[in-house]
Amino acid sequence: MTVPILEAKAITKRFGGVTAVNAASLTVGKGQIVGLIGPNGSGKSTMVNLVTGEMTPDEGQFLFNGHDITAQPSYRRARLGMARSFQLLRLFSSLSVEDNLVLANHMRMQSSLTASILDRAAAREEEAAARKRARELLAWFDLQEFASRPVTALSIGQQRMVELARGMMSEPTLFVLDEPAAGLSPPNVDRLIQLIRRMRDEFGMSILLVEHVMRVVRDLCDHVVVLDSGEKIAEGEPEAVVKDPVVVEAYIGTGWKRRAQG
Amino acid sequence: MKTLLAAIAAVALLAVAPFGLGGYETNVLMMVLFFVILAVGLDLVSGYCGQFSFATGAFYGVGAYTAAIMSRDLGTSIWLHLPAGAVVAGLFGLLLGIPALRLKGHFLAIVTIAFQTIVYLVISQWTSFTGGQVGLTMPNAGPVRIFGVTLFEFGSLRSYYWLTLAMTVICLIVAWRLIHSRLGREWVAIRDDETLAGAVGLDTTRGKLTAFVAYAALAGVAGVLTAHSLRGVTPDDFTIWISATVVAMMVVGGRGTFVGPIIGAAFLATLPEFLGKFAEYKMLIYGVLLVLAITLVPEGVVGRWRARTSR
Amino acid sequence: MDLFLQYLANGVVIGSTYVLVAVGLTLIFGILGVVNFAHGEFYMIGGYAGIFAITVLGLPVLPAVAVVLATAAVVGIAAEAILHKPMKNRDATSSIISSFGLAVALQNATLIVMGPQPQRLNLDVSKIPVLSSLPTDFGPVFLPQQRTLIPLTMVLLIAILYVVLRYTWTGRSLRAMAQHATVARLCGVRVERVAVVTFMVGAALAGIAGMLMSSIFLVYPIVGNMIALKAFTVVILGGMGNVAGAAAAGLLLGITESLTSGYIANSMRDIVGFVFVILVLLFRPQGLFGKAVDRS
Repeated sequence: MTVPILEAKAITKRFGGVTAVNAASLTVGKGQIVGLIGPNGSGKSTMVNLVTGEMTPDEGQFLFNGHDITAQPSYRRARLGMARSFQLLRLFSSLSVEDNLVLANHMRMQSSLTASILDRAAAREEEAAARKRARELLAWFDLQEFASRPVTALSIGQQRMVELARGMMSEPTLFVLDEPAAGLSPPNVDRLIQLIRRMRDEFGMSILLVEHVMRVVRDLCDHVVVLDSGEKIAEGEPEAVVKDPVVVEAYIGTGWKRRAQG
Repeated sequence: MKTLLAAIAAVALLAVAPFGLGGYETNVLMMVLFFVILAVGLDLVSGYCGQFSFATGAFYGVGAYTAAIMSRDLGTSIWLHLPAGAVVAGLFGLLLGIPALRLKGHFLAIVTIAFQTIVYLVISQWTSFTGGQVGLTMPNAGPVRIFGVTLFEFGSLRSYYWLTLAMTVICLIVAWRLIHSRLGREWVAIRDDETLAGAVGLDTTRGKLTAFVAYAALAGVAGVLTAHSLRGVTPDDFTIWISATVVAMMVVGGRGTFVGPIIGAAFLATLPEFLGKFAEYKMLIYGVLLVLAITLVPEGVVGRWRARTSR
Repeated sequence: MDLFLQYLANGVVIGSTYVLVAVGLTLIFGILGVVNFAHGEFYMIGGYAGIFAITVLGLPVLPAVAVVLATAAVVGIAAEAILHKPMKNRDATSSIISSFGLAVALQNATLIVMGPQPQRLNLDVSKIPVLSSLPTDFGPVFLPQQRTLIPLTMVLLIAILYVVLRYTWTGRSLRAMAQHATVARLCGVRVERVAVVTFMVGAALAGIAGMLMSSIFLVYPIVGNMIALKAFTVVILGGMGNVAGAAAAGLLLGITESLTSGYIANSMRDIVGFVFVILVLLFRPQGLFGKAVDRS
């Protein structure tokens, strides 16, 4: 195991009487791609929102690069180097593709807000640098010609790429991807797999990947954690995990088994 | 560049306008400028940052009463009142911004209405401090002195109009810079998707509070200018109707555009003058216009025009 | 102590008006998601319709009530066509702005037609059966019959509303809409009709309140402003969309105001409610009595 970048320790989250996540732990090592899988309603999305700080857990602790971030709101976690994408694609819909990227770089800017309001040289240079970097990233995703277009003018597949580019714009050390393959056509899934691998290899980032598409998980992940009904039921290498009878049952057998028992 | 030239031409035209106009028309023009400041200010918080407010009249009133009370108790001049009005109104803006951190949509709208009503009730009932229903009178803006040398005398309508025009231009430049800075882009991000704004590392608390403060401070400046122009204040100048009128100006012109609220303010503030003997129907027409605008042209005339031309 | 009971009684009378106005408002919000700032104008129109029926047409009380209800029905249909029908699939602020515009238009139209001077409804209570035989002195509390009529009517109307919501097809449709509009539509609820009915009920309750109150207080074109604000206070205190909560909060607000003006200062009366509202929205947005709801 490499040096851990993210450690979730015995995380529990309840909504009223329902326990969505129950004492679940996971670790993402530096440079690793860790998959988080589980059937619908298993608590994956809740776990992602807990990791990124959109929700706070009732119990448990999050360590990011060894620091306790459990009480930090999402924007602080982003500043510490955590980026995310959303299951239902989220972009700033009234802004251009480039502006969407530049916004993700705001938190890295050194010049003061006052300097930006007064249009001082320092702020202007930083803004220009951010735009240059945004265009480079867009070129990396083969989207350079769309830079000044409104994001809503792009196809869903392209918008997904913009979301990834936006995440990279914030120079994260951990990128949390929430079902990036959802709604993509098979050729686009292949491309996505390549891109995610290159993101890790070329930029050295660690990735927590929530995914339904098993092909993506098998091709990419070094390690897989399986949630069911909010509890971790298995973890390990992808090939081993998908053959684990407990996992198979969680995916295809839960309903049948419960009905048989009840 | 073209925009800059057009803006300079418009300001130059407004600057020479009093030479061709009578006192009444100059006063109307001045009132238009007050509303331009108010509508552009509201657009910062509502149009750009997406936080709805029906409390413009309250901040406008706070600015005006700051000037009136300072001039009564301290004998100060407009040069002190302008920054003081902006700061005091801005602090009230901060106060209203706090509930906006937690509330959205109609909940926020109702809080702003409650806030507007509380401010109105306080200024109309706290007679010993605010003069109650009768309000306060104040002397004119007074001479402008630097090191004891009188530079301008703002006794005349024309000179006061120029001061108002100059302050309006300054307010518009401030608003323009805010919108086109990093902060303005963060406001739009908060309006579009607050969760996402947090996820990409933007401090949404700071974003919302700054928008409320900027909005309130601009309304405060408009209040100071109005108080000196009317030589006094009464609570009925700062009711929820002012708030509604300013919302109408912003909506008709186009939310989230820079020129929209300016055009909306110019149109709705001068409309009663063109209605002639129908001027008593002014508020009725505002009401109907507001319903029609939000139903048929929710993006405002400037928004609609932009959508047309970009196609 | 004697004064306390009198204040309490006055509070219940005013509070009953708040209940009538606020219940309609909370129904319109709960069922249709419309924040109706023109609701105070429903009250104002009810007041004028009552005066028209009784003073101008010289009708007895019950037919006058029918005139008010008929007017309310027309107002409800029109308001739904303006505030709800074209505003579906829009954000919350659209209907807020629109209803605000409608309120401004209605007030100023009334101002032009009726003039600014306040008017009073001369309700001859001696001709109303049952009511005329009620006493006006209850121990230390003095309550003229015009005033007693208001809480009585409120209880009656809220009881009728409760029965309708509980036991009729229309009522079940309304409640289904409040739960989930799309599912209700799939289950055969005619959403358009429900929307119109909801607005009509809201306009009727507020209209009756306006009619009854204008026999004690005066009615004038902008009377609805304060009433609408009070009703919003009540709706928020009771929990948005919560009918029982609105009924309880309405009485509570009326009593609180009456006691404030009696024991603290009359000038503080109107402010208390609004301060309350801001505090409640900040710390208990589901209202004093409600269960947690989404604030967005």
